[in-house]
Amino acid sequence: MIRIDALSKSFHASGGHDGQRARFSWRRRTPQIVRAVQSVSLEAADGRITGLLGPNGAGKTTTLRMLAGLITPDEGRLQVDGIDVTVAPRAALARMGMLSDARGLYPRLSARENIVYYGQLHGMSREAAHARARTLSQMLDLGALLDRRTDGFSQGERMKVALARALVHDPANIILDEPTNGLDVIATRALRESLRWLRTAEGGAKCIILSTHIMQEVERLCDHVVVVARGRTVASGSVAHLLAQTGQDDFEDAFVQLAYGPSGTLP
Amino acid sequence: MNAWRTVRTVLAKELVDALRDRRTLLTVLASAVLMGPLVLLAISGLVASLESSADQREVVAAGVERAPTLKNFLERQTYRVRPAPADYEQQLRASSLTDAVVVIPPAFETELQRGETPLLEIVSDSANQRSVASASRLAQLLAGFNRERALLSLALRGVSPDLLEPVEVQSRDLASTQTRATRITGMLPFFVMMAVLTGALTAALDTTAGERERGSLEPLLMNPSERWALVLGKWGAVASVAMLVAVLSCLSFLPGQWWLRSDTLAAMFQYGPAEAAQFLVVLLPFAAAVSALLMAVAIRCKTLKEAQASTTVVMLCASLLPLVNLFSLGEEAPWNLWVPALAQNVLMTHVLKGDALIATQLAVPTLLCVAITVAALAAVARVLRVAAVR
Repeated sequence: MIRIDALSKSFHASGGHDGQRARFSWRRRTPQIVRAVQSVSLEAADGRITGLLGPNGAGKTTTLRMLAGLITPDEGRLQVDGIDVTVAPRAALARMGMLSDARGLYPRLSARENIVYYGQLHGMSREAAHARARTLSQMLDLGALLDRRTDGFSQGERMKVALARALVHDPANIILDEPTNGLDVIATRALRESLRWLRTAEGGAKCIILSTHIMQEVERLCDHVVVVARGRTVASGSVAHLLAQTGQDDFEDAFVQLAYGPSGTLP
Repeated sequence: MNAWRTVRTVLAKELVDALRDRRTLLTVLASAVLMGPLVLLAISGLVASLESSADQREVVAAGVERAPTLKNFLERQTYRVRPAPADYEQQLRASSLTDAVVVIPPAFETELQRGETPLLEIVSDSANQRSVASASRLAQLLAGFNRERALLSLALRGVSPDLLEPVEVQSRDLASTQTRATRITGMLPFFVMMAVLTGALTAALDTTAGERERGSLEPLLMNPSERWALVLGKWGAVASVAMLVAVLSCLSFLPGQWWLRSDTLAAMFQYGPAEAAQFLVVLLPFAAAVSALLMAVAIRCKTLKEAQASTTVVMLCASLLPLVNLFSLGEEAPWNLWVPALAQNVLMTHVLKGDALIATQLAVPTLLCVAITVAALAAVARVLRVAAVR
């Protein structure tokens, strides 16, 4: 169960440079304030797949990074199973499995070692982590990949290992940032099946948040959709509910209307 | 979860990661192991060739046939006179001729007989080090010729030769054999420190900027681990590699000695297991500090390439500071011990001179290294979260 209330975050960006380098520049640039997230709220219940849908730059990744405690929010609250992320970030992280935008693996370690390393960092024993790696390998069909170094892996293969790594501690809350990027049709289908199973009672009734900009994904998978645009939550509800709200037949049209306004362009 | 378990887990993973990077590791270790013998070999080759040219007792002269008196003198001093090649100036400039040349004017013999002080020229090239050494030998030899001629003339006139030398001058060298050797072996500490630096560099960059470049730092921080524990584990691995290089390069001088070609150098260069151990006492804290410092610089960089550029500053400082010792011509100021890198160089030079390491001398540099390590690691831990998402 994840609750996000009225979250907001602004960044200082200076012309043409990232913040770190600007500090060493000769003259002071007037800092530009970028309001990445202005008011995002969502509630993701257990045993449901919640879609976080929004155009590029809507603030999805920033929101998820705040959820992971990597960025401190300016305002708002983030709760994971009742634990406040800003107060007890590590307790919250222990209850989350997060596949972030950056999903780099260690190229000189095998897929199994990559997964077991994260398991151990989550406090699992070696044996437990290895057992879990075997289970995940069956679920995600890693098979022969498991004992190969990840150096030459294809994007889809990397993606699967990164997903297994995020799920190694069997978290109650699963957060996936654009998980189908780089996956082929078969792998996408398999992932969809896995997520559906994780949602069920025998799969653990996980709370799953799926951030994406692919409509099909949302239509096929999500029980609940939160539409984010320009750093704000602009609508939420089931796919059917959003269709009814906008009076559209096609979900893509409904999304464009919600995200960009009736004219289809950003106001 | 227990933070120390995190430290162990990260340390083990980073070590495995570093060990699997075979090519880099082998290059670093091989250069550390081979460095000692190779440097010693080069030095001993240089010293041996200086010694052999001193032993050869040869004088290169242009126009020696015009000066039978001088030739006779040289031969009585058991020197062999070799005629200079026609293009000796060019050869000296190109360093293909390593002996200074005496140029004898055509009218040398007649002028000498008439007492007209003929001019003898000693030609060397100061860019040609060995010709300079042979020039000073030649100058002494010719001064001897002068003295002999003067004494002969005085004796003929019935004057006591003692009048010519109212004061007797004798020089006494206070330097012990080992102190004299440090003039030649003085660069060894510098080479050892460079080996430690380069050893730490690759590992330090890989665990920081490399992790950012691969995009694996952000997921790493999504684990519920203490940040300081992650940093400590990473540093442990980098420092282990740096210390391994330090141990190997210190030990490499032991077998390196067997190859010393110059007996004088072998007698002067006292480096046994005790000296190796003292080197390590000085070097290990340095390896720890350098590892932490390189990590602190590299974590601010997004890519390995950027990090390599930034760490050049650290590498440059660490390699230039010890040179202060060389420029000040061995004069040691107390503040030298307060400058990291320079302090290590000073202390290792002491060891080579055969002085015992004094605890009070060791305390300041060691504590400084500890302070640098702690400060740099704290900086890494602080920047880590910001670095992950930028």
